[in-house]
Amino acid sequence: MRSTLLTLKIRRFHKEKDPPHWRETFQVGIRKGMNLLEALLRIQDKQDGTLAFRYSCRGAVCGSCAMRVNGKDVLACRTHVEDLLDKYILIEPLPLYPVIRDLIVDMSTFFNHYRRIEPYLHGNPVSPQTEHTMGENERKEIDPYIQCILCGICFGSCPAFGKDPQFLGPAMLAKAYRFLADPRDKRNEEILKSMNDPKGVWGCKTVFNCVKVCPKEVPPTHAIVKMRGRILRYRISHLFSQFISLFRS
Amino acid sequence: MEILSHDILIIGGGLAGLRAAIEAKKVGRDVAILSKVHPLRSHSVAAQGGINAALGNAPAPMKDTWENHAFDTIKGSDYLADQDAVEVMCQEGIGRVIEMEHWGTLFSRTEDGKIAQRPFGGAGFPRTCYAADRTGHNLLHALYEQVTGFQIPVYEEWYALSLMIEDGKCIGILALHFFEGRIISIQAKAVILATGGYGRIYLRSTNAVINTGSGCFLAYHAGVPLEDMEFVQFHPTSLYGTNILITEGARGEGGYLINVKGERFMERYAPHLMELGPRDIVARAIQTEINEGRGFEGEFAHLDLRHLGRDKILDRLPGIRQIALDFAGLDPILKPIPIQPAQHYSMGGIPTNVDGETPLPGLFAAGECACISVHGANRLGGNSLLETVVFGARVGRKAAQKAEAEKERPKQPCFQEGVRAFQSQLKEIFERKEGPPCFQLRDEMKSLMTYQVGIFRKESDLQMAKEKIKELKRRLHHVGMKQKGLAFNYEFIQYWELEGMLHLAEVIVEGALAREESRGSHFRIDYPHRDDEHWLCHTLASKTPEGVKLDYKKVMITSYSPEERAY
Repeated sequence: MRSTLLTLKIRRFHKEKDPPHWRETFQVGIRKGMNLLEALLRIQDKQDGTLAFRYSCRGAVCGSCAMRVNGKDVLACRTHVEDLLDKYILIEPLPLYPVIRDLIVDMSTFFNHYRRIEPYLHGNPVSPQTEHTMGENERKEIDPYIQCILCGICFGSCPAFGKDPQFLGPAMLAKAYRFLADPRDKRNEEILKSMNDPKGVWGCKTVFNCVKVCPKEVPPTHAIVKMRGRILRYRISHLFSQFISLFRS
Repeated sequence: MEILSHDILIIGGGLAGLRAAIEAKKVGRDVAILSKVHPLRSHSVAAQGGINAALGNAPAPMKDTWENHAFDTIKGSDYLADQDAVEVMCQEGIGRVIEMEHWGTLFSRTEDGKIAQRPFGGAGFPRTCYAADRTGHNLLHALYEQVTGFQIPVYEEWYALSLMIEDGKCIGILALHFFEGRIISIQAKAVILATGGYGRIYLRSTNAVINTGSGCFLAYHAGVPLEDMEFVQFHPTSLYGTNILITEGARGEGGYLINVKGERFMERYAPHLMELGPRDIVARAIQTEINEGRGFEGEFAHLDLRHLGRDKILDRLPGIRQIALDFAGLDPILKPIPIQPAQHYSMGGIPTNVDGETPLPGLFAAGECACISVHGANRLGGNSLLETVVFGARVGRKAAQKAEAEKERPKQPCFQEGVRAFQSQLKEIFERKEGPPCFQLRDEMKSLMTYQVGIFRKESDLQMAKEKIKELKRRLHHVGMKQKGLAFNYEFIQYWELEGMLHLAEVIVEGALAREESRGSHFRIDYPHRDDEHWLCHTLASKTPEGVKLDYKKVMITSYSPEERAY
């Protein structure tokens, strides 16, 4: 029979300890179909009540349990331990975020960027008794971007964010596009103007890391490229109209 | 002593809590939310199938009305719902759902661009508005976006430890800043509990790991009785293995339930509505098939979606497909999904009126932790999301009114006393020698609840459960912990929450033992029929030094008199 003991090496952090960083090895018995979050909960229960990590839904919809497993950023609940058996396993907090304790990172920069894009529908006026009408095609254009669960994985894999923490980052640019593409939102030009910035769409290095790592298959780079295209078209038409008015005068 | 102050403090950042916050903020109150997780991690995010409102957007032979919705809800409740509250919900629900659309919720659409609606269990019309099968995710994100716009402060990853009561009024809470281990008093003119359900007292539950029913216990511990707690909803279709929810929308879109003999067995239990019978009936049907040897491996039945075809599954049920792929390693386009019933929802909770006021002045409740009661003995799918936005808004409005009428009060000495009491309790816990580990007691409770206080109940099981819970409560007082501080002390949190969970379990058992009838989700094999003569009443369970004390109160009946329930 195959070994049913899983060995996990976890990168710990406790700022008041000396040294604050260390690696600790745990062994946990597994059962069929078990995921990494369950394994961690079991360790927290039975072996070390100080092991800190976030969790909630255990069904890959809440975005709490993002962490790095053998160099890949994943949701722990969506990671099968059977796929990890017989491997050396290193679990670390998400990269590029300050660590608070063990696998818990400080996401305040992430949510500050969220607030920067004013992420709420600035709706066109409509009667309070009826909904906006919206075609299924319009909905489908937004749909891939609305799947974002704000787990923060994409920021950790983004070289542009790694270089400049003021870069809005993949999840927020995808969200900005979600409002831009929404026919109910009246901010078209406003959104494009604020995204037309080195900290906005022009900061992206289009390496598609975010698209590859997203556990919900959100494609932020596609949104960025679409916004760039719209900004360029806007610039060209603006130049053209300036040229016409110069010519006329 | 650290003391913070707000007009209104909301415990819980799911749909009900966020909706209440917005309403109170709109009228200019100083409102704050406290949540043990970031609001977007709340369990509302996991709701799938949809939210009911009689919009009448889907093609049907007649136009749907809120009155139809009210009738379906009351019949679904096995006539235990308070009919005035149901009428409020169904009438106001239409506006609330449209408001959610105006706030950016990306509902699926009909051909003419309106909010799409699908059939759901126990409903006479396709009334469930949906955003594919991720309706909770879409609603929660839209509401959190509004909360962001209103700049409502959130105390994230803080725990509410206890309610502060002075002169028979709730004046705030003691809170724990979990990352720093600090105890902080928060004074408020109104406290709103919106902490969701207690699913994690059961072994098999669709609920998030965080759903420990803490708000119900806070109220119960402070002397507020709990209403109708024996009515525990078991969802018919949770994924075998992890018990992750597989939406009723899967059956709404046409999915079949199949036993090991290949039969669509629902024709024996609800010949008219088949798979779209109400949840209590479908859950019992599946469990009966399994118990009588017609399940697969003695454990589960099949939910078959294959005949819906790839396009429909990808369009309407993409989340379900992803869950099946991620957590069962199978694609429902090609294979049936193994499912079994699991605890899903609490019909009972903290008793409130239609404005969310509890019997304790200054304390309000909304959402799953509250019992208004709009669900009675069995909730219809699609009504819980509706309840959160309708009564979230109402409680926010009422709390704002009450807070405005309240004069500024001086800092209360009762907080100091509360902190002292908590610290001496903590000292006692930390001084204990290491006893039984907490998780062991927790796991025993969970098994007990699933196997003895589950879908089918009987006196001998319930008596045994009652004794066992008493024993677990005794053993809990010997649990010691290795860590002696509060910061990041998961042992302490688990202990603290388990104490509350054991009390809730006890209330459920006592209510179930006393109620010698079968109604909605509460099924007694020794009393298999509904008994309106004796039991058309709500249970009220109070905490006393001697244990649980049960009282009963009348059900509010407006225009729908109880009838036999057939589907």
